[in-house]
Amino acid sequence: MAERVATAVAPASTVAARTLAATKIYGKGQTEVRALDGVSVEFPQGQFTAIMGPSGSGKSTLLNCIAGLDTLTSGQAFVAGADLSTLNDNQLTILRRDRVGFIFQAYNLVPTLTARENITLPMTLAGRKGDKAWIDTVVEVMKIGDRLNHRPAELSGGQQQRVAVARALAGRPAIIFADEPTGNLDSRAGAEVLAFMRRAVEDMGQTIVMVTHDPTAASYADRILFLADGRVVDEMLEPTAERVLERMKRFGE
Amino acid sequence: MLWMTLKGLLARKRRLFTTALAVTLGVAFMSGTQVLTDTIGKTFDNLFSDALANTDVQVRQVAAFEGVPGADTSDQRGRVDASLIPVLENVKGVAVAEGDLFGYARLLGSDGKAIGRPEMGAPTVGAPWSETALNPFQLVAGQAPRSDNEVVIDRRSATDGKLKVGDTTTVLVQAGPQQVKIAGIAKYGTADSPGGASFTMFRPAVAQRLLATPGKFDAISLIAEDGISQTELAARVRAVLPAGTEAVTGAEVTKESQTAMREAFSFFNTFMLVFAIIALLVGGFMIFNTFSITVAQRTRENGLLRALGASRRQVLSSVLAEAVVVGIVASALGIAAGVVVATGLQAMLRGFGLDLQTGSVVFSASTVYVSVLAGLGVSILAAVSPARKAAKIPPIAAMHAEVTGSSGYGSKERIIVGIALLAVGVSSMLFALLGDVPNALAVVGVGVLAVFFGVSTLGRTISLPLSRVLGAPLPRVRGAAGALARENAMRNPKRTAASASALMIGVGLVGFITILAASTKTSINAAIDRSVTGDLVVNAGSGFFGGVDAGFAERLDSVPEVEFATGVRFGGAKIADKVERVGAVDAKSGFAIIDVQPVQGGPQDMGRDTIAVWEEKAKEVNLKVGDQVKVVFKDTGEQVLRVAMIFGEDQPLTTPYLLSMDAYEANFLDRYDAQVYVKKAPGVTTAAALAAVEKVAAEYPGIKVLDQEGFKAQAAQQVDTVLGLVYALLALAIIIALLGIGNTLALSIFERTRELGLLRAVGMTRAQLRKTIRWESVLIALQGTVLGLVIGVFFGWALVTALADQGIDRFTIPVVSLLVVAVIAAFAGVVAAAAPSRRASKLNILKAIANQ
Repeated sequence: MAERVATAVAPASTVAARTLAATKIYGKGQTEVRALDGVSVEFPQGQFTAIMGPSGSGKSTLLNCIAGLDTLTSGQAFVAGADLSTLNDNQLTILRRDRVGFIFQAYNLVPTLTARENITLPMTLAGRKGDKAWIDTVVEVMKIGDRLNHRPAELSGGQQQRVAVARALAGRPAIIFADEPTGNLDSRAGAEVLAFMRRAVEDMGQTIVMVTHDPTAASYADRILFLADGRVVDEMLEPTAERVLERMKRFGE
Repeated sequence: MLWMTLKGLLARKRRLFTTALAVTLGVAFMSGTQVLTDTIGKTFDNLFSDALANTDVQVRQVAAFEGVPGADTSDQRGRVDASLIPVLENVKGVAVAEGDLFGYARLLGSDGKAIGRPEMGAPTVGAPWSETALNPFQLVAGQAPRSDNEVVIDRRSATDGKLKVGDTTTVLVQAGPQQVKIAGIAKYGTADSPGGASFTMFRPAVAQRLLATPGKFDAISLIAEDGISQTELAARVRAVLPAGTEAVTGAEVTKESQTAMREAFSFFNTFMLVFAIIALLVGGFMIFNTFSITVAQRTRENGLLRALGASRRQVLSSVLAEAVVVGIVASALGIAAGVVVATGLQAMLRGFGLDLQTGSVVFSASTVYVSVLAGLGVSILAAVSPARKAAKIPPIAAMHAEVTGSSGYGSKERIIVGIALLAVGVSSMLFALLGDVPNALAVVGVGVLAVFFGVSTLGRTISLPLSRVLGAPLPRVRGAAGALARENAMRNPKRTAASASALMIGVGLVGFITILAASTKTSINAAIDRSVTGDLVVNAGSGFFGGVDAGFAERLDSVPEVEFATGVRFGGAKIADKVERVGAVDAKSGFAIIDVQPVQGGPQDMGRDTIAVWEEKAKEVNLKVGDQVKVVFKDTGEQVLRVAMIFGEDQPLTTPYLLSMDAYEANFLDRYDAQVYVKKAPGVTTAAALAAVEKVAAEYPGIKVLDQEGFKAQAAQQVDTVLGLVYALLALAIIIALLGIGNTLALSIFERTRELGLLRAVGMTRAQLRKTIRWESVLIALQGTVLGLVIGVFFGWALVTALADQGIDRFTIPVVSLLVVAVIAAFAGVVAAAAPSRRASKLNILKAIANQ
């Protein structure tokens, strides 16, 4: 199947992140695995994108490479206008700290810090105070105002993920990357967290890229990119859970 | 389950190694000391059996009393009359009878400087040159002395002093400086000199006159005619001996000398062993700590094993088996490293002038047994408590998701036990030090241990508030990294406290010894100010025996810049049934320059038949002015002296008894001044007097002229030398403690892999991560230091209080030195964190986050 450009090319200023022929190869020779095979995608500002695909399709690799956690073998990845391949470890770290938000599946919070300290952690690392009014707003939206002085061990799984979302939002990053953010939650708590992420996009204009294998979770996104064998094979706009399920079933064929 | 343990250990080789290393160092020290002591022992054994190889019987005075503690440790006996030689020669079976003696002789090299360092190590000796088979030396150049001013010297002295046959030089002896000609140079067996000592050998009559007493020898050595055994000859000789003399076989003399030498060195052995034990104790702490952490980390694994059917006993023995392996590895490495330690110590002794040319290092089976026993014992003992904890893990633990290490303050029982240990430790120390307790030293030792264990038991309770206080400035000074470091130090007080404990012991002892040294120095300085009213002190620098001849003080007396000069002599005597050191000064000039602070009686009462007693000694042996006391001298035998004075100040002479010079000369054959005190003439500056005295002293190389400040500095320097040695030895314990902190950090980092990955993902730079770990390490180190210093100050105070009646009466806290210790410890924390923090900063973020 030929590679498809996912979206019509948008003006640079409205793109939060993009890749150009992103390729990631693990191993060498016989054991070579092409986790990403020339992926070119764009993530427009203010959009909630879900990345789906069967296991081993390269969806997490794509996320890690755009987020600056992993490096591409060839091709380029841009975040907030910066070409990640030109940055050293320190510059990448600072980019992640100042321009990127993260929500992981589990273990999102530093256990020795309170919820409030976790939320402001990237700013503290940068030696900044952060925008107090904005953080208050985020805390209010996430409904965690009464848990701020608790440590992670004293919070429920859903509350922990909401704190993680709040942390991701607190620094007004160019883009937030979420890797299975509801994977460890029951469906009710999961729905809550996803609703909050949706609000962040709609009310705050946040850009979010989320990897998931859950059709319901994916249905909160504005569009879905489907990956298979390291390539983008399909795209779906304004998805619903049923349509996603239908599409996913076709991977099994 | 043994194979599982071994597999697990192999999978974690690095940790096995660092854990074992802690004990290895202690074992290495122990075996090194053992090897060195054995080597020294063998060296001297050989030395004496060589020296006495052809001596069949020795005739000598019966010992007056045993050795003098802190001075000459061999039996003290008088000299025999030379007139006995012809009598012995007439005994049937005697082939050779020859007198022998040793005296102080300081040879000068071709540069005019004195050869050897008798004040530090091997002695400088004068002796008669024997032309019989009794002589253990063999000439390598020149010939035997033919005239009164000719000498043979050992090859080492010849090399050191750049002297060759035919050269003329000076030798300083009891009879004053002598011009001598080098007639010959001799070696001693295969060595250049016996044990590094310097030997100057004269014709026998000359030796008697210059070194000792004319007509007297230390002993007479005999060679038997062929076919007559040593015992047979000794029996025949005994028949002609006058009362007070004895005949002993060569074999017996050899054995005696060897035993005496080994005893003299046993002090060194004990001294080093104390530090080996400290090192092992600290190593034990580290093993305990490492095992506690790994057991906690393996809670799930052990729970799973239990769930799958492993019994408690099996889990217990699997942990202990690991400790056994660690112990064996540590002991094996330690024994090997011990040889290196021994070589190093040997080099150190050579630096002191003690030459051990043994060729081979003595490695006895007992060294191996003792080392393995110590290494294995410490490892197993330290692992018992963690092993029991592992065995108590219930099968259900396998199902728990996260391991949460205990982070509590410690149970109420624990606090009670800790306080009880502290109370027992403090009270037994105070009782032993201040009261009258038999075996005080052992009781103090137990008290010290109890204090250390008490504080360690309370460690986790103290740790949290301590981390909070010590780390308080961190968030402000070091930002987010500092704040996280502080949180990390506080998250598991038990672990922080345990790693700090090991350092606490080392720093506690360093603090203690620093305070003791400072207090000693101030006390001595104060005593010198109080008691020395003179202006200059001349030190003979001759070591344990000998000194400068009496003529030196007389010559100083005639120098115009000097009002008067007075010599001080030392010796040993058995007084009130105890062997003691005695000092002697001139009744007039001596006491005029050294104010001994009389309490009862005074210098004017001192004469030929009197003795003065130090106040504290008088209390101990119950003497007062007017009492008659029995004194045994080696040269004059039993005498009765009257106590004429009780004095309050034992510095600077440090002997508990004093004689007037008249009494000394009546009872001692030696005529050496160990020190000469000088009072300058009125109107002369100290500098001018110093210059005048130094001019005379120039003819006596090896002696030192000091003004009051210099004298104090010299006393302080002696304390500092010991202090430096103790520091070097305690550094070992501190290095082990730092290894322990490094190990704890590495294990903690392993535990926090995911957290570190997360921190890196959300924007912590590598430098920040390193900083976080570094400051956590510094906090742990500071905690150990603070606790150690508190304990050290207490120990110091307790001992100084106890020693008040020994003249150390000024408790001094050397604030600057202790601050330096704290800064060094904090910096050491940085060093300890270097490896773990580097590894942590190189963590692969993705793998770390995915880590289970």
